[in-house]
Order: sequence, then structure tokens, then C-alpha cells
Amino acid sequence: MNKIIRLLLVIGLAFTAVAGLQAQGKRKGTLNFYGWSEYIPQSVLDGFTAETGIKVNYETFSSGEEMLAKLLAGRGRYDLIQPSDYIAEALIQAGQLQALDLAKIPNLKNVLPEYLNMPHDPEQKFTVPYMIGTVGIVVNTEKVKEPVTGYADLFSEKHAGRIVVVDDGRELAVAALYSLGKNLNDFSPENLEAIRPILATWFGRVKLFDSDSPKTALLGGDVDLGLVWGGEAAILWNEDKKFQYVLPKEGAHMFVDLMAIPARARNVENAHLFIDYLLRPEVSKLISDEFPYTNPNGEARKLLSAEQLANPASYPKIDRKLDTFRHLGGDAGARIDALITDLKNAR
Amino acid sequence: MQALPSVNLENPHARRARAGAWLLIAPLVIWLGLFVVAPLGILVAYSLASTGELGQVEFALNFDNYVRVFDPIYLKIFGRSIAYAALTTVLCLVIGYPVAWYIARQRPVVRNRLLLLVMIPFWTSFLIRTYAWIAILRSEGLLNATLSASGAIPAIFPEPLALLYTPTAVVIGLVYAYLPFMILPIYGSAEKLDHALVEAAHDLGAGPLRVFREVIIPLTRPGIAAGMLLVFVPAIGMFAITDLMGGARVSMIGNVIHNQFTKALNYPFGAALGVVFTLLFVLSYALLQWRGRRRDRG
Amino acid sequence: MITIRNVTRRFGDFVAVNDVSLEVKAGEFITLLGPSGCGKTTLLRMLSGFESPDSGEIWIEGRDVTRLAPYRRNVNQVFQSYALFPHMTVRENIAFGLRMQKVPADEMRRRVAEAMDLVALGGYEDRLPHQLSGGQRQRVALARAIVPRPAVLLLDEPLSALDAKLRHQMQVELKRLQKRLGMTFVFVTHDQEEALTMSDRIAVFNRGRLEQLGPATEIYHRPGTAFVADFLGDANLLEAEWLAAEGDNVRVRLRGGLEIAVARAAWPGAATRAVVSVRPEKVCIAREPVAGAENGFQATITEEIFQGALDRLVVRTDAGTTFSVVVANESAMMEAFHEGERVWCGLHIDDLVVVPAA
Repeated sequence: MNKIIRLLLVIGLAFTAVAGLQAQGKRKGTLNFYGWSEYIPQSVLDGFTAETGIKVNYETFSSGEEMLAKLLAGRGRYDLIQPSDYIAEALIQAGQLQALDLAKIPNLKNVLPEYLNMPHDPEQKFTVPYMIGTVGIVVNTEKVKEPVTGYADLFSEKHAGRIVVVDDGRELAVAALYSLGKNLNDFSPENLEAIRPILATWFGRVKLFDSDSPKTALLGGDVDLGLVWGGEAAILWNEDKKFQYVLPKEGAHMFVDLMAIPARARNVENAHLFIDYLLRPEVSKLISDEFPYTNPNGEARKLLSAEQLANPASYPKIDRKLDTFRHLGGDAGARIDALITDLKNAR
Repeated sequence: MQALPSVNLENPHARRARAGAWLLIAPLVIWLGLFVVAPLGILVAYSLASTGELGQVEFALNFDNYVRVFDPIYLKIFGRSIAYAALTTVLCLVIGYPVAWYIARQRPVVRNRLLLLVMIPFWTSFLIRTYAWIAILRSEGLLNATLSASGAIPAIFPEPLALLYTPTAVVIGLVYAYLPFMILPIYGSAEKLDHALVEAAHDLGAGPLRVFREVIIPLTRPGIAAGMLLVFVPAIGMFAITDLMGGARVSMIGNVIHNQFTKALNYPFGAALGVVFTLLFVLSYALLQWRGRRRDRG
Repeated sequence: MITIRNVTRRFGDFVAVNDVSLEVKAGEFITLLGPSGCGKTTLLRMLSGFESPDSGEIWIEGRDVTRLAPYRRNVNQVFQSYALFPHMTVRENIAFGLRMQKVPADEMRRRVAEAMDLVALGGYEDRLPHQLSGGQRQRVALARAIVPRPAVLLLDEPLSALDAKLRHQMQVELKRLQKRLGMTFVFVTHDQEEALTMSDRIAVFNRGRLEQLGPATEIYHRPGTAFVADFLGDANLLEAEWLAAEGDNVRVRLRGGLEIAVARAAWPGAATRAVVSVRPEKVCIAREPVAGAENGFQATITEEIFQGALDRLVVRTDAGTTFSVVVANESAMMEAFHEGERVWCGLHIDDLVVVPAA
């Protein structure tokens, strides 16, 4: 939905936007926050400003790559960013993040230990978890009676033309890797060749690709099954309990969205203040109320209702350790994109 | 520069007039420089760059991106984009021409009201209008509800129409989005057409069809050409409609370019596609102009 | 050839053509004359088929064409704006009608060439209309309209866009062309001079009604109404009051007080009032009493305007009636009349036209 705006920003308004941001950054008492679209309630931003007097300049992106590109191009002086795990890993490797002063983030103690010291930031020096999500299968159980437990069931012939999937090449490629029992972070040329026929078959049965709001087609009845973000599935379940969510049995991963401070940030103090504010249980609860992802904040979870905790998409039954994406490096990203473009346009 | 009158520089009046002319076109020159030349320059610079480990742009002189543009898959997507845009243009012409003609032949008061109706959709965001179409076309949407309420389902169609997320939906979306761009220039031409010419043709024995073919079409050709250009050019690069109404199943070149900037993190390749795309337009426009001039000379 | 029977056409409340009946003979040059808004153009457009009458009938060549589409009528029109197709060459413009009739190519070539010769346009075949002068465009329009050999040629003020000299030349040429082709011409104009120069008959229109129909000389010399007398040429229109019968004549008092005699036969019935129309050139003026004029009187010149071949005077009779007078400047030797001079005036009874009072 921000696509148009986004493109305009990229192409036309780049210089003016930069100039504007830099001018704003010089004022005292501001925080330039670059975060996901549709991921933080306005009330949380307002609450922070009311309490501290710090004005939050909130700019959004809708893919991690977009954020990465903008940050690397040196455009925009951001004080706080919201990278996903594998993006953060890349940024840390590239020296683009500054170490956090954990003494200024006492609320970090509220985060459940399983979400700390993860592979992307093993020493927990640069990042703090914001929200956790999974990618899984959602099924309209009124329309689909037979059990759907994995990718094979989801993409089976009899569901052709009734499936929505996220429009994200890496997610789809990972699903195919899982279905072959391969490592989700191994995009060797052999693996890419191996998943080609699988994805080709799947794509023939997909009705639509939608990353921004896959729930819409499911709610409207245009499709009955989906491979979607857990947060989307959680909203569907809140709407109607007929939408059931499962993590595919062949393998599933989770993504951790983080808070981090870029190396070139100016309002470092304010960024720390904001991170600590977000980790307060009552603030974190506000976020969960509006965006029902998995909350890594143990103290905040205690404040959630039984219904919220029972949401199978927010808090799925996990019987195994979930994988996470790693930074791929090289031209793996470009090769995945070429493969997906190729397959989508083969017909 | 060429548009400026050549004047005697010895003459102080002429010099002042010349300065005045420059002053008048200065905003245009600045605008073109800032928003056409500069972005194009940036695009070209990017297209020759390569990407680093993290996808960051590293400036260098390298033509690999252009080589990749000519990979069969991208040529195929270019071809498909042209086909979709061409179909959209033809449909817009077929639907828009009679509308434009009808409006142009009304009394001024009625004419202005009808023109307003053509332009009212622009008051709403393009995306909102696209979502409205999604609401109409979806399987439990307005169209199917109307069809089943009227008994057309199952009387005529055995089951609800699955229009959304098909190429048909993309074409519907494109035609809807660009129809006004066809109607307005044709209206401009049709309104200027001296009705006495139509009468003269009738008078000389031409029936309605022949008048249309022999007089009306040739004389509204500038409007038709402008309309076709205004529809074809943006339609070929459109990506939002293919994503939203086509379910992103089939890419147009706009989607591929968009992808390079937002997902694949390959600005240089996206820029190269954009440069080739722009050149394609410049070339086809130059060709049209050249053919037009040749025709004028006889 | 053309029969117009009780034709009426309204536009909303406005009656453009009001119960008009008219017969046009084959080979005739008839002019529809009148001021703008008099209905002449609407009548022409009903002949060409661009308008339909609300009531009444139109027959052309013995066929009822009242509701016939323009492209099915055997009539062609020369438009006021010429309406040449801007995207076609002179040749293509002229050939258009023949092409619509599916005339064979060689015959088409021959007839187009003939038509171009007829209007003296040889050598301009491949020009586009915008490369021609106004007069040349006019000729193309004419050639285009006559080349399909219509039964009737309709001309809608075709000369109005030309300058005075070219207009005079075209008037003569048009008349010559019409005689040579033997074609029926229906010519619309508001220019009385044009009408008088070319027409076999003139139909004068006023406010949607046909005021008078007749040969040019008759319309000019014997106007049936004050409107016709005034519209065609100059006229001194003087209200007259019946005083007494005097044999074949009637003695009347004109506005201002002058008493003159007019022919009894010219007086409209039993009316006590009428209008006497006197052409300025029919007022004889001299430095001694005018011989042979039934009405003679003395007057003073109050205004004198030299117009080259003519002298235009305004005289005021002793009784107080004013006339506009035109005198030919026959010789430079003759002493010109001048303002303030006392002169004798004479009016022949035969030159006095009496029309009903409005």
C-alpha cells in the first residue's frame, strides 16, 4: 500500500527528504525512528513523547531489504532502526550498528531468555528483541475439511487455485527447501536447482501472491488456504475461529524483529530511552493488543488476556526448536530473485 | 534554445527581450533539470554500478546489468508488458472514443458537467479506487452478489465468476485507471473539430461510417495519438494493479523493477532495466514523430 | 425542381422559419435574402437535410425529401466557412463526392480535372487547404460541390469572407458558372448588392417569413413592404396621410408637411395612412424647376458628402420634410452642389412606391 509512496521516495524525493531529515535531526529532543509499517501503535509513540518530551520522527519501510538499502546508502540519519534477525546480522558484520549500553536498558530483564543470545547477535551486544513471528499455514476449516499439516498438503493438487502465499521469494524458497529436508539457509546453486521444479508446481496452484495483506483474500473467501505471516493468521483467528494456523511439519522458522542503533546515529541517548520504554510490560502489552505477534517480553505476556494467549497463530504450539534466517551474503539474494521471477513468468 | 527568437544582440531592446524570454522559461528549465535530467543521471550512474556484499551500491563502470536485461526472461516480461499495455490502450480507445466524442458534441453546460464526471475519480486515491474494484470483483463481491441476486447465477453462469487475481482483472484495472487519459485528449481534439466538416462530408454523400473513417478519425488523430501515448506509457510500467488485482502471479516490467529496489536489493539492475525501458520509449516516440513528419511531407 | 410547402421550424420558443412556401424552377438562380436571424439559413439547412421542418414538406426533383438524410439527397452545399477537409489535398477534396458515389477512377480523374479548370485552379491539385488563399479555398469549395453534379447547389453566404474586390469578381464568376452549368442555385446572403447582381429571383425574408418573392428588378423597383424597400438599396421611407383623390392620383401629406401626388393605383386599398418610398437616386435636383416631374418643390441642401462617382445630399423642403438624395457626378465641369444652397426638387409619380403602413 505504501508501494507508490515508497517508489516516489526512492526516485523523486530522495534529496528533499534527506535534507528535511537532517535539518530535523539537529534539533534537541528528537528521535529519528525507522521502523516497519503497521508494527507500532501510535499511542505508544505518543505516550513516549508525553513522558519524555522527545519528538519521534517515524519513518516506515515494508521490507528489510528496503531498510538495509537506505541505511547503507547513507541516506537518512536514523537513531533507531527495526531490523529483522538476518538483516541485523549483516549490519553487525558490516559494522553498521553500535553497541548498546545495556545499563541504560534495565527492562531487558523482562525478555524471555530463549529470545536472547540468538545466532544473529550471540553476545546480545547490538540488538534487543521487539516481536517474534513465524510463517505458517492458515486454513479456512469451514471450506477445507481434510487435515493440512505441511507444505505437501497445502500445495496439493486438490487445493489448486485456492491458495494465497506471501510474495517473498526467500520465504517461498525456504518452504521448498524444508519440503526437501534441506537446511533453510543453504542456497547453494545445487539446492536452488533442486527446489526449482517444486516451486514451479506450487506456483501453478497459487491463486495470488500477497505480502502486504494476505488475510484480505482469505477473509473475502477468494482463497481458503495460505502460507502467511503468523501475525496475519492471528488477526484472522481473532476475526473468526474457523481460520486455524499450523506450523508445517516439514519445518518452520521464526523471525525476530529487533531494535538497534545505527553506527551513525546522533540521538543515542534518546534511542536507549525509547528501547527501554518499549520493553516496559504495560507498553509492550499495548503493542500486542494491536499487532498480535509473539511477544518475547515475559512480563508483558502476564498482562495479556487468556484469549490473546490462546491464539494459535500468536503463540503456536512449538514441539521443536525453530530455525532462524541467517545472513546469506554473496549474490544468493539476487539468485533467489532471478529464480522466482523466472518461475512466475514461465507461463 | 531553439524556441527563442534569434535577435540582434547589438540592439539593447532585443537584448532585454531575450533576457525576458529566458526569465520566462527559467522555471521550466529548472524543473526539467531537477526532476528529469538529474534523476535520469542518477539512474544511469546506478545502472553502471555493482552491488556489494550487503547489497550496497558500489560505483564502477560495468555493463553486466545491461547484459542481464537481455536475458530471455526479462525480454519475455518486456514483451508481456507491451502486450498488456497495448491491449489496455486499444480497449481504452474503443471505450473512450465514443465517450469523448459524445461529450464534445454537447452544449457547454452539459459538456462541463460530463467532463467533471470523468475527472471526479481523481479526487480519490488511486489505491482506494483499486481496492474498490477488488471489492467488486472478488468471489463474494458486489458483482457476484448482484449476479446471484438477479438469478444470473446459476441461470447463465454455473458458479460465481472467479475474475479477481486473473489477467482479466489486471486488464480491467488498467483500463479503468487510464481511461480518463484517453478520453481527455480525444475530447480536446473532437471539441475543436469544426462540425461543418462533418456536415460537408454528409452533404457529399458520405454515410455515418464513412464520415467517421474519412473525416472524424483523421482530424482527431492528434488526440488519439496523445491519448494512446498517455495510456500506453504509464500502463506498461504499472506494478500496483498487477500486484493487487492480478495477485502478483504474473509480472510486468514495473513489478520487476520495483522488486529490484524493494526486495532483491539490486539497485543497479533495477536502474539498468529502467534506463532500457526509458530508451525504448524515446526510440518509439522518435520513430512515431519521424513517420509523422514523413507523412506530412507526403 | 424544389417545392417548399408550408414549412415551419422552431427552436424552442423562437420560430426560425414561419409557414414558408416557395417554388424554385430548374436552372434558376434564386437568392434567399434577409438580415441575420431571418430564417434564410435555416431554410437552406432544411434543403440540405441538416435540419428537419417541424411541419410542412420539401420536395426536390419530384421526391419528398422532408425527412431524408443529407447524404441521400441530390443536393450539395458550399459552406460559409468552406469546410474544406484540412487533411486532404485540393484534388482529394474535390474528388470526395465522386468517391462516395463510387465513380470509376478514370472518370473521376476526368471530372475532377474538368471541375478544376472550371474554377481556374489548375496547378494547385496537391496543395493542402491551409496553403491556399481565401479566394482559392472558395473555388475549391465550389468545385467540390458541383463535381458530383447535384440537382441543386446550395450556397451559404460563400462570399462573405472575401474582400470587396474579390467578392465582386466572384459574383460575376458565380453567375457565369451557373448559366454555363444550367444548375439550380439557391444562394443565401444578407448582402442586397450580391442578391441584386446575381439572382434571377430574390426571396426576401424577415423574422422567419417570406416577405416578397420576385425578380431582382421587381423587388427593387416595386417593393411590397416597407421592410423590403428599406432592406434593398436606400430608400426615403416617409409616412403619408391621404388628403384627397385627384383623378388618377391621390394627394397626400408626407411626414414633415410636404404635400405631393402619388398614383391612386399604388395606394393600399382603403387605408388612410401608408408609407411612401422614394429611392435617393430618383429625386431630381436642379438649380431651376425640374421639367416633367409631377411633383416639384424647393428645398435647402443641409448636408453634402462627396463620394467619388456620387454626391450624397440631404435636402430639407420648405415644408419641413427631409430627403436623402444621390446625384451622379457626371462631369468635373459641372459645379457641385454645396451646403446651404437653395435648389429645386422633382419627383416623378412613377418613381414613387407606396407600401402599407407598418
